[in-house]
Amino acid sequence: MEWVKTGILSSVACNLDVDMLTACLPLLEESKIDALEWSFDALYREKEIPDWFRDLLTAFGNEHRLIGHGIFFSLFSGRWLAGQEEWLQQLRQMCRDFRFDHITEHFGFMTGKDFHHGAPLGIPYTSTTLRIGRDRLKRIYDACACPVGLENLAFSTSVEEVKKHGVFLDQLLEPVNGFIILDLHNLYCQLHNFGIAFEDLIDLYPLHRVREIHISGGSWDESQADPGRTVRRDTHDNSVPQEVFRLLENAIGRCPHLRYVVLEQLGVGLQTAAARKTFYNDFLTMQSIVREKGEMLVPGPANTFLSGPVQLSGEKAEDETLYRQQLELSGILETAASYEEAIHRLHNSSLARSDWKVETWEPYMVEVAMKIAQKWKVNSVNS
Amino acid sequence: MKLSKSLLSAVMIGIAVHGATSCKKEKTDPDKAKQEAEKKSKEKTSTPYPCPACGMG
Repeated sequence: MEWVKTGILSSVACNLDVDMLTACLPLLEESKIDALEWSFDALYREKEIPDWFRDLLTAFGNEHRLIGHGIFFSLFSGRWLAGQEEWLQQLRQMCRDFRFDHITEHFGFMTGKDFHHGAPLGIPYTSTTLRIGRDRLKRIYDACACPVGLENLAFSTSVEEVKKHGVFLDQLLEPVNGFIILDLHNLYCQLHNFGIAFEDLIDLYPLHRVREIHISGGSWDESQADPGRTVRRDTHDNSVPQEVFRLLENAIGRCPHLRYVVLEQLGVGLQTAAARKTFYNDFLTMQSIVREKGEMLVPGPANTFLSGPVQLSGEKAEDETLYRQQLELSGILETAASYEEAIHRLHNSSLARSDWKVETWEPYMVEVAMKIAQKWKVNSVNS
Repeated sequence: MKLSKSLLSAVMIGIAVHGATSCKKEKTDPDKAKQEAEKKSKEKTSTPYPCPACGMG
């Protein structure tokens, strides 16, 4: 087996967004950005990619420094939907047009009539969801023919779910020899929202599968369900908190196959010169940590995160009961007038006394789930 | 990673002229492109969308 010392690339998430690109431009001009992460499926409003953006992606792709980050596949939808088939076709085309070093997606399922009109929500960890997730990951791998990864969740409803997430990710990714994006702001949300210490949670993730780390900012929510409590949300609209930089310092040395560290921030959080300057400084801080901690990594056995040929079943994995439960959950979260009503309806739904374990869901997180679902619903009406 | 000056110039012009979401491949005259960019900018202000790159939380 080959032993290698992985070089870590300081990267930015960069989409076709004028504020995001304006913030990245000084870093590009100073040759500070090692790699780009692009959400290739966030182009649904665009007819074509402009030549200059295509050339930028191609330049990074040609140096094996372009990575693709999907948003809308909806890995765990109980029913196989037309949108997923279209998403795979788009991915195949994108992989013909650009040279991606790897492709990633998010954990969970999207509610709503299509993938741009709903909220991303979690799922119960069962043999059914494991079967569906593995089948879908194989289809992604088959379409892109490069390493495939999943990002850890920011949102959970119970501490039990938080602690089981890493093991479930490991099981999901094993058949395609996949990897995880360890999103440290997501981890920060879980640490804060459930009062867990970093040392107690970090080793519950399959760190040997970490190929990419994300850092970003977010926002605080005052809970009405639990007065005095603040909930951390992964809104990506602010600068990186110092606590997240400290998590980065502590995480790098634990991830022997780390290749990319990515700074993410939405364009809506980069509309002023001051915000863009902070973004610039955040990148330099991140790069400094990456260089210092990367120097200290020792060579280890190589992992390409490639799999042999995958066997695709003729039938797509589905579960109609899960699908109906997902629709019911979405409907409750999108229409409940209060968190008390949402909890009451959940306890009298098909999710009650099931693998969803809604009885253990923290009311303050149900309240946040409602806000997320209703935010996406409102945006879908406006879009 | 070092990028060529011509690519950086193209990106700079692309940001200035095409704006946030203009993706027409064919070349357009700059005045028309600016008007389009202004129009799209107004649309963006009136309908902020938190989605791309997953501001999910």
